[in-house]
Amino acid sequence: KFRAVRAAPDKISEKVEESIKNAQETCAGDPTSGECVAAWDEVEELSAAASHARDKKKDSDPLEDYCKDNPETLECKTFDD
Amino acid sequence: MAACTVYSTQSLRTNISIPTSSSSKTHLGFNQKQVVFYTTSKKSRTNNNKRYLITCKAGDSQTIVIGLAADSGCGKSTFMRRLTSVFGGAAEPPKGGNPDSNTLISDTTTVICLDDYHSLDRTGRKEKGVTALDPRANDFDLMYQQVKAIKDGISVEKPIYNHVTGLLDPPELIKPPKILVIEGLHPMYDSRVRDLLDFSIYLDISNEVKFAWKIQRDMAERGHSLESIKASIEARKPDFDAFIDPQKQYADAVIEVLPTQLIPDDNEGKILRVRLIQKEGVKYFSPVYLFDEGSTISWIPCGRKLTCSYPGIKFFYGPDTYFGNEVSVVEMDGQFDRLDELIYVESHLSNLSSKFYGEVTQQMLKHADFPGSNNGTGLFQTIVGLKIRDLFEQIVASRAETPVGAAKA
Repeated sequence: KFRAVRAAPDKISEKVEESIKNAQETCAGDPTSGECVAAWDEVEELSAAASHARDKKKDSDPLEDYCKDNPETLECKTFDD
Repeated sequence: MAACTVYSTQSLRTNISIPTSSSSKTHLGFNQKQVVFYTTSKKSRTNNNKRYLITCKAGDSQTIVIGLAADSGCGKSTFMRRLTSVFGGAAEPPKGGNPDSNTLISDTTTVICLDDYHSLDRTGRKEKGVTALDPRANDFDLMYQQVKAIKDGISVEKPIYNHVTGLLDPPELIKPPKILVIEGLHPMYDSRVRDLLDFSIYLDISNEVKFAWKIQRDMAERGHSLESIKASIEARKPDFDAFIDPQKQYADAVIEVLPTQLIPDDNEGKILRVRLIQKEGVKYFSPVYLFDEGSTISWIPCGRKLTCSYPGIKFFYGPDTYFGNEVSVVEMDGQFDRLDELIYVESHLSNLSSKFYGEVTQQMLKHADFPGSNNGTGLFQTIVGLKIRDLFEQIVASRAETPVGAAKA
């Protein structure tokens, strides 16, 4: 049984890279223009999203994930008393 | 007796309505929490569905609203996890909904992210040349209407701003919780929204620390360099200073994070000086103090009774003024190495609103893996969490009392 894994983190990483390049180009002409500021704001938003995605990935424990779906298996059974 | 309100609203797409400013109110004697029904006028052939939403509140069921303001990447989510943990139960995204939803729901608390009230999506902001910090990129009318509706016990269909795609996704249903937390860049910007808040917190991260944190967060990311991190902070700074920073004057509690003074010229951002600035005279909120309320005290707990490693821990407590308001400040500089230090510190703080001795330490231990658990950020966030629980319980108790008193009189 497979679970769909969202490949978001990699995709976000690419977007971050792209947005940084874009911001550097936009700001080459006028570093105080609205477009430049908005471009760097986009970098910040994507960087924050990437970091949240990384944290989510890091927090997940392979055994815990497996046990969420298969609580009846030998390695997952827990008894309260 | 329960008080009921009937809202009639026109032509809405979905099952539950958002009350608009043109809602008309009628009072009925229903007992149900919420009833929704439609009447379709058959005379006109247009799709003119008129509908009524009835909400009834028992005296104590009104939602309490808390505002948390901070810049992106400044630890709002860690604070939120500490806060929901104080109330018990884990906060999770709504089940079965949009996987990119920003909302967190636990038994008592619902946390909504104010980015969901962006009026311009990522492309829209780029075209107009405005940042997400700019009020023009946010819909404060909708924010006010929906927060007000939830406070009044009415479910709303709230938009979802998708941080991955930068688009506004279809809305999700938010039911009124016991405690609603609105977190984001502008919870205290609009005076109407501000007046709805029962308590407000501002996370104030100094520029040096912000820079250090973002380096830790972003340096591993492809494409990022010291220059790009610096450029991003600098570019957003004018808007931050103009629209976000001024909100701190309205906050009931400000958590200020500064570089340490224990190590000269430290710029690693690992050891922090954290100040909890608490407004005096706020109803249901009595500030935490060290040893003696109202005195000015500097305290180094390290000595014969407690061994601390370099650079040690230093506390400060005292009265101050902050934007013309009377405040009490508790400050901690340095970091904990071991648990016994924290329980020692906790036993010397008063007015913590904890339910048993050692609750602060226990809460901190529960989340030892969260960022800031070994310094003042985690300590003060946990304390503010306990303060909010206390505030919530006092408000509920006072509401339960009032109708009884009124009936007797």
